[in-house]
Amino acid sequence: MEPGRKHRILIGSIGLDGHELGALIVSRALQDAGMEVVYLGLNQTPEQVVESAIQESVDIIGISSMSGIHVEALSDLLEVLEERRAKNISVIAGGIIPQEDFLVLEKLGVKKVFPSGTATSEIVSFIKKELPEKPEV
Amino acid sequence: MKKDVNKINTAYREKAQATNTLSGIAVKEIYTPEDTKDIHYDRDIADSGQYPFTRGIYPDMFRGRYWTRREVCGFGTPAHTNERLLQQIEEGVGGLNVIVDMPTRFGVDVQHPLAEGEVGAAGVPLTSLKDMEDLTKGIPISDVSFSLISSSCIAPIVLSQYIITCQSAGIDISKIRGTIQNDTLSTRFCGMGEATPPDLALKISADVIEFCTKNMPLWNPINVNMYDLRETGISATQELAFGFANAIAYIEEVLERGLDIDNFAPRFAFYCSAHIDFFEEIAKLRAARRMWARIMRERFKAKNPKSLKFRFGIHTAGCSLVAHQPLNNIVRVAFEALSAVLAGVQSLHCCSYDEPIALPHESTQRIALRTQQIIAYETGAANTADPLAGSYYIETLTNRIEEEALKIMEKIDEMGGALAAIKKKWIDREIEKEAVKYQEAIENNERIVVGINEFIEPPEEETRAKRHKYSYEAEKVHIDNVNRLRRERDHKRVQESIQNLRKEALKGKKHNLIPSIIEAVRAYSTTDEIIGTIRECFGYSYDPFEMEKSPF
Repeated sequence: MEPGRKHRILIGSIGLDGHELGALIVSRALQDAGMEVVYLGLNQTPEQVVESAIQESVDIIGISSMSGIHVEALSDLLEVLEERRAKNISVIAGGIIPQEDFLVLEKLGVKKVFPSGTATSEIVSFIKKELPEKPEV
Repeated sequence: MKKDVNKINTAYREKAQATNTLSGIAVKEIYTPEDTKDIHYDRDIADSGQYPFTRGIYPDMFRGRYWTRREVCGFGTPAHTNERLLQQIEEGVGGLNVIVDMPTRFGVDVQHPLAEGEVGAAGVPLTSLKDMEDLTKGIPISDVSFSLISSSCIAPIVLSQYIITCQSAGIDISKIRGTIQNDTLSTRFCGMGEATPPDLALKISADVIEFCTKNMPLWNPINVNMYDLRETGISATQELAFGFANAIAYIEEVLERGLDIDNFAPRFAFYCSAHIDFFEEIAKLRAARRMWARIMRERFKAKNPKSLKFRFGIHTAGCSLVAHQPLNNIVRVAFEALSAVLAGVQSLHCCSYDEPIALPHESTQRIALRTQQIIAYETGAANTADPLAGSYYIETLTNRIEEEALKIMEKIDEMGGALAAIKKKWIDREIEKEAVKYQEAIENNERIVVGINEFIEPPEEETRAKRHKYSYEAEKVHIDNVNRLRRERDHKRVQESIQNLRKEALKGKKHNLIPSIIEAVRAYSTTDEIIGTIRECFGYSYDPFEMEKSPF
């Protein structure tokens, strides 16, 4: 990470699910940790997420998934990122995601999954340590 | 990992630390007669069935009738849900409780871009009259108390589907029992902002209340949804204050239509949470009964004793449950259910232990029902009304919760009421503040949650629960059914019913739309077609997400 450059992260949720609390809390924690958060909110399509991510020049996309559609939603998202040549944006996910799906998601390209109950400090330190900056495409 | 055997000594010596209630009320080491010396039994507590109903709304409570045991259900196709409902009846439920899926709730087409993977995912799709018929097949709905959890603006559409289904079976709707949740304002806090413009939401809820008051005297036209408010992360005192503020908004809206308070207030009902702070939840509900009785008598001058009764159902708090070591949730739910019973609940849903993971599997939902049955038949907790009355702690806590909740309600009144507080985003800010506070308390280990910040098991050793799986097949079947319905229905009749609905909607906010919604449903117009049309008439986009246009 260039000195002085903050992480920019977009937080959103795909589909119709209305559970927003986790996403809000994580956004707050990331902001408190000095990151720039673009809060997209609920009810996004994968295309809308990617479009905003590109426009806002974020380094990371964080998807909150609470309704069980994580594999489909994230697989679609990563496909759209590929199509838009934006695979340099890292994707992380959190929410109601069972242990057995972590490997599937990581194989798809999700950098890390943070299931419900993860301390926000763990998410912050992962981002700071493991996702230093947007690598060149 | 090196094991630390010395931790047994810490475990032996440790003391209660987080001694405030979840809503922040300080709890003393002991309560004595000194704490309750200013309480007058007849004025402040009274027998159950007597104003202000602190001890319960009926004199005989569960000796007259147990609370209704229900388990929320809804997934796959209406036929799938129907099968599970019939199974629940076999297992001993006393009433049915069905929740609609997200595309239905939002009022979007089953093939809307955002609906993919969501049809039948978090509830049952009720797209047309046919779906309600499939949902209720073989169920004796003339007698069954049927609760429909559809709080969003599509509530009147689902209600209409139910009404027509009853009428087609020759059932007199003035005799049917049940509930349409119909608390539209609360869904703004369930991520349904665009689909719930507050003014339209209020109008729709008022239409349902007015119609049911005139035509369905045994039906509850609203369940003020304190439960989903609580699920956003607010406290017990906020749950009461925000919920009552919404209830007052609905009452004022209906009064403006010329109905008398005693016409419709007797059928007002509430849907509350039972969270994990055992005594606080019991005190909360006792306070709620007293508060509601006083609000109805003093603020609204209600005279009918039935108008003064806080009737409530409970859903144990989903947000209190933990995905790790999920079997522990059976214990949490048992305590929450017990607190509901000790608080004199009228209807109870217990979460299944897999609530934080997926929809209830049938095996886990059965345990939730058995929890209720064990409380009812084995523990003796239901044998007497309000058994904790007179406890120095409980009576003090009841008073404190009432005090705190009233303070919050006063703030909301000063802002101009619930609608104003919602539009100003004051409620949203309060929710965020409280939710973040609670999360911080957990991350700082000020509050211990077993399995989250203490007593953690490595993931490999976690319980592998049987999980309910989403069915793509069911989604496909339902979409095919909807497409076939659209091809085979009488197009002219649909067009005419939509024109009629438009005509009626343009007559203004106070004009009741239920009769024209019923006609549109009868013509097999779909949920999205009906709500989309209503939205357009009030100046909103057909599709809350502005991706689809009206086909009419």
